[in-house]
Amino acid sequence: MAAPLELSCWGGGWGLPSVHSESLVVMAYAKFSGAPLKVNVIDNTWRGSRGDVPILTTEDNIVSQPAKILNFLRKQKYNADYELSAKQGADTLAYIALIEEKLLPAVLHTFWVESDNYFTVTKPWFASQIPFPLSLILPGRMSKGALNRILLTRGEPPLYHLREVEAQIYRDAKECLNLLSNRLGTSQFFFGDTPSTLDAYVFGFLAPLYKVHFPKVQLQEHLKQLSNLCRFCDDILNSYFRLSLGGISPAGQETVDANLQKLTQLVNKESNLIEKMDDNLRQSPQLPPRKLPTLKLTPAEEESNSLQRLSP
Amino acid sequence: MCNLPIKVVCRANAEYMSPSGKVPFIHVGNQVVSELGPIVQFVKAKGHSLSDGLDEVQKAEMKAYMELVNNMLLTAELYLQWCDEATVGEITHARYGSPYPWPLNHILAYQKQWEVKRKMKAIGWGNKTLDQVLEDVDQCCQALSQRLGTQPYFFNKQPTELDALVFGHLFTILTTQLTNDELCEKVKNYSNLLAFCRRIEQRYFEDRGKGSSSIRSS
Repeated sequence: MAAPLELSCWGGGWGLPSVHSESLVVMAYAKFSGAPLKVNVIDNTWRGSRGDVPILTTEDNIVSQPAKILNFLRKQKYNADYELSAKQGADTLAYIALIEEKLLPAVLHTFWVESDNYFTVTKPWFASQIPFPLSLILPGRMSKGALNRILLTRGEPPLYHLREVEAQIYRDAKECLNLLSNRLGTSQFFFGDTPSTLDAYVFGFLAPLYKVHFPKVQLQEHLKQLSNLCRFCDDILNSYFRLSLGGISPAGQETVDANLQKLTQLVNKESNLIEKMDDNLRQSPQLPPRKLPTLKLTPAEEESNSLQRLSP
Repeated sequence: MCNLPIKVVCRANAEYMSPSGKVPFIHVGNQVVSELGPIVQFVKAKGHSLSDGLDEVQKAEMKAYMELVNNMLLTAELYLQWCDEATVGEITHARYGSPYPWPLNHILAYQKQWEVKRKMKAIGWGNKTLDQVLEDVDQCCQALSQRLGTQPYFFNKQPTELDALVFGHLFTILTTQLTNDELCEKVKNYSNLLAFCRRIEQRYFEDRGKGSSSIRSS
């Protein structure tokens, strides 16, 4: 389509194009289907607090939630699910529902409700993206919205209390992650070799959890143990989000991009493995030390690594 | 489906008797277990399970489909019952408040409606119109129909928890009389789902003579 598509969403950090799960889902889908999207990082809108981000604007349409945006893109012929069978399409819906029911509450909790995480990471980050004076109000609102959602959907009446729900939602999230990992197995994407809607959703929800550095990390730790899911996130990041830093891929070069992406994927897998093991050592000192190809480490890093290994 | 002997009892204060506030719940000896998930686990601990024959991937699929049904069908049913003004006024208020004397019937009905509306708003369904909700239900039924295909049950020969859940929702949708029949029509579009419900009803419910509201009559 010739009409320019603009996506307004929260910005990126920690190596991700966006820190907001739903924005990431839409961006990933656009990359997979080759839709040319111009990404606008929003900063001063009330819409973020009402959960209306991401927003897709074209010449005469404004579409707001991820599901609707994906539908709209499909109608414009940017369809990443073209090769899926009917049963796989049905499976997609089911797995998306699973993620929204089981994983989303825990992700919301990790980001917005857990006080350590919220005050040290989430709130400063969002506040830095929003101009004063909204930066004082919006993060608080988003946090309350998240808490509300968790309590209303998981809290059992008449006991709308957070403590009882916390343990349950984390258990559910861990189970959900295990199920996703089982389903992915050793394949590249969930349905064969080409990414689809389900991959976009899984990536959108897992990537922030995987990449953002939090003080309280029980869910992140669990995710890191599921190496095929980590590999999945890294693959997508490397192949689809590093090639064009501006976030645009011209529609005419789709096939060339696809081949290039496959080639770079192969190359990146090798360097990813090394990088990931390196990351693991640096971020999770409590894991037992592994044999690493130490060629990559400089003497300074080696020293800091051994220091971390010694610390509890 | 597990061939366990049960006695069904209707009580007005069922929601309050339940330990988690939700119906249905079962009362076994001196134990009370509520909601489908825990009940299934309880029955499994006693040695009866429908999903033992499934492998890991199939179990994952089953869980995913159960969540889909819960997410879409359950929420749509709640929406239709409590957020659609016509239905609320004519049917839901009267039905929900019927065991109680005035003014309690009105108060409790309004309270429940407020609770449900709050929940809808929290998950983003607050701004949906009835048409959008029906479209979602249609998508969900389509997914279920495609998954079922021509098989007798969702995981081929044996019924599982997913079959029980789907049957429960679809049967209710098909047999409840509402002011608006569109939800019912949406489900009827999928003939294999209809056949599925009939099959389960005939096999498991008519043997015990519980055919109080049969699908054939609607």
